[in-house]
Amino acid sequence: MALSWRAVALAALGLVPVAIWPVPGTVLVWAVVVVAVCVLDVALAASPRQVTVQRTVPSSVRLGTPATSQLVLTNAARRRLRALVRDAWPPSLATALDDDGGLRPHTDPAQPARTARHTVDLPAGESARLRTPLLPTRRGERTAGPVTIRTLGPLRLAGRQASIDVGGRIRVLPEFASRRHLPSRLARLREMDGRASVQVRGEGTEFDSLREYVVGDDVRSIDWRATARGGDVVVRTWRPERDRRVVVVLDTGRTSAARIGTAFEGSVNTGGTRLEASVEAALLLGALADRAGDRFQVLAYDRRLRARVAGASGPRLLPAMAESLAAVEPALLETDWTGLVGQVRARVSQRALVVLLTSLDPAVVETGLLPVIDQLSGTHQVVVAAVSDAEVAAMRSGRESIEEVYDAAAAARGDLERSAVAAVLRQHGAEVFEALPDQLAPRLADTYLALKAAGRL
Amino acid sequence: MSAVAAPTGTWTSTAVTGDGTTLGSRSRRRWRSARWLVGGLAALLLAVLVLAVMRPPGSAIPYDPGNARPDGSRALAQVLERQGVRVEHVTRVADAARAAGAGTTLLVTPAPYLLPEQVTDIAAVEADLVLAGVDDGLLRATTADQVQRTPWIPGPVEPVDPGCDVPAAVAAGPSLLVPGLESVAPGLSTCWAGPEGSAVLAAVEQDGRSVVAVDDPAFLRNDDVLTEGNAALALHLLGGHDHLVWLVPDPADSTVARDRADDPDPATVLPTWFGAAFWWAVLVALVAAVWRGRRLGRLVAEQLPVVVPSAESARGRARLYRRARARGHAAAGLRAATAQAMAQRLGLARSAHPDAVVDAVVRATGRDPHEVAALIYGPPPADDAALSELARRLDTLESEVHRP
Repeated sequence: MALSWRAVALAALGLVPVAIWPVPGTVLVWAVVVVAVCVLDVALAASPRQVTVQRTVPSSVRLGTPATSQLVLTNAARRRLRALVRDAWPPSLATALDDDGGLRPHTDPAQPARTARHTVDLPAGESARLRTPLLPTRRGERTAGPVTIRTLGPLRLAGRQASIDVGGRIRVLPEFASRRHLPSRLARLREMDGRASVQVRGEGTEFDSLREYVVGDDVRSIDWRATARGGDVVVRTWRPERDRRVVVVLDTGRTSAARIGTAFEGSVNTGGTRLEASVEAALLLGALADRAGDRFQVLAYDRRLRARVAGASGPRLLPAMAESLAAVEPALLETDWTGLVGQVRARVSQRALVVLLTSLDPAVVETGLLPVIDQLSGTHQVVVAAVSDAEVAAMRSGRESIEEVYDAAAAARGDLERSAVAAVLRQHGAEVFEALPDQLAPRLADTYLALKAAGRL
Repeated sequence: MSAVAAPTGTWTSTAVTGDGTTLGSRSRRRWRSARWLVGGLAALLLAVLVLAVMRPPGSAIPYDPGNARPDGSRALAQVLERQGVRVEHVTRVADAARAAGAGTTLLVTPAPYLLPEQVTDIAAVEADLVLAGVDDGLLRATTADQVQRTPWIPGPVEPVDPGCDVPAAVAAGPSLLVPGLESVAPGLSTCWAGPEGSAVLAAVEQDGRSVVAVDDPAFLRNDDVLTEGNAALALHLLGGHDHLVWLVPDPADSTVARDRADDPDPATVLPTWFGAAFWWAVLVALVAAVWRGRRLGRLVAEQLPVVVPSAESARGRARLYRRARARGHAAAGLRAATAQAMAQRLGLARSAHPDAVVDAVVRATGRDPHEVAALIYGPPPADDAALSELARRLDTLESEVHRP
């Protein structure tokens, strides 16, 4: 049983007769009329439980990419179905319409999500297709709510309502907004391939091919033996070594839960934690390393393994990473660095590039990472990439009031402590850098390229 | 490379009809969830009904003419009625003022919560007044300030003779009532004198009516009415006219006599249909509440991950600095950060000696070495203003240092 605004209007109309004949009889008669008409309308309304509902949703969708949940409603009753239908989804998928008809995330909790409500008028036996636009704003697994059908009687005063659990879930994949940095990094990778041999020859490069000498080649790269075998002058070319191992470890412990703002300008991502920036950086590095011919694997770890992708390459790598990183959330736990290092050592035996995506919290690094980093940096090239906090960076430059100066002093002190920790980590043989959330992914890609160019992988 | 794969597969549910409930199962579920509430309400209603039926007749309010308990006054009221006096029991001052015309007696029982307007109303009635245990304000208003209450005086141990010529007192004879009044005006009739000029009863003739005040209202009560001459006193005082208005003021009563009220009665100003329309509007509001109150399906919950506000430790540290007035610490932090930034820009090692830093900065900016040294390695600032100034000057210095 549900009323519509028309029932309220009918009741309000009663004010006129009640005011003209202010006797109990009028009140009673009009009240009986309102109740009787509403009851009649409910009785004549189609049953919401005789409607067949079928929902179709994409099984996975990238964060920030609009998707559609589609309902097929079939009126299985013999009455005409006049109904209001709600296709309920969790708040992070709900949408609202802009003034100019554009889709934006639904953020006002005081308003219902109007795009999820549909008016239906179906004759008996017919079907209708309802499309609910969705705009995912958080990573992870999302389960759909019920489909609620409120049927109205022929007078549309009152009706009946039922919520039907249809099922449906969407896996929201990471946004991968850092992919816009990919083309420029791939171009740099190609440049490295064709570089003159002597400049890059050495450790970390491998013999590529022999080709005919052209004017301008360095004479030192002439392969005299091959030249003697054939008739033409032949030079050797080199390329960066391939099939290196790259391991990215995402720290999902408590420091990754800090909200540091949206990773990219214009992003609808409401997660905004350190982990979001780490995921973006891992995806960009994965795409780049795979193109460079390296073997890439990724782990997410706090006190136990949260996600792992290994052995995938080529077009399968990024979907696999997106799928497995989609549901990784920060945990309020202290990261077990000993266990983390043990995981890496167990999974990679040969020399590898180990990227630790974490934060440079001095206390945490001193008690957690420092005691065990030697176990990693002995065999592997270690890169510690930390997400710094834009808010602290902003605090650093405040001079308006004395409070802001104290804030700036505290932020400066924090910066000094972090750079001291970074220096200690560097002494242990790790590459360390700290970057703002939107800079982390390109900085990590650049670091990777620089290490590759220097043959240090 | 096309980044993360675009949405690949879709998932389609089975076609679902209905939520698996029937009218019967829904009613059973509703009954199961509501039965305790309904049962409780029914039990409450039953209890109220039983109490209403079992309730002993009569009231429990002290000095009420219908109250048969020891603190009531039913005995007196019944005797008066048997003697042909019409006893009209009122609880509101407005009713009392309307009923107490000339040729009637108005009895006011203890009334500690009267408003000043109500006191004026009672003082203005034309009926003869009997005041039993009323407070000082009403006493003064009705006797033109001739009688007032005394501080507490213990009651007599032996019956006291009236010692006055007020007929009721003469008829009553000796009494044990507590003397709580004193007369301020000379020549006033007071009876049963106590110590320090106090008396039990004071009678005033004023504006053609008599006002009799008795401070101890015990003579009205069922348990005391037979003590000494109390009954005779009460019957004499209250039986003077054949119409007695018995006012037992309700503490919540705030009414005043109609002709004195400044505000006109709302019922005469508002149109006749207003009341009905108002209540109908309330009904419409209820219908609107039912309309808005039914949700279109339940709320869909979403598990949110833990999120820690960033920079909170830095802010906490800043607040600690400020509370401890640790300007030295704050300045040292700012100075060290500036020195490190400049050293990095000038290509010095982290461990460079202060003198080397100062030298390099002086070479880069052309400033006075002492000034630069004082700025970077000087004493801590003396107050907050000096700290702000230091921060600004460090900014300026840092902005002047460029990569060589």
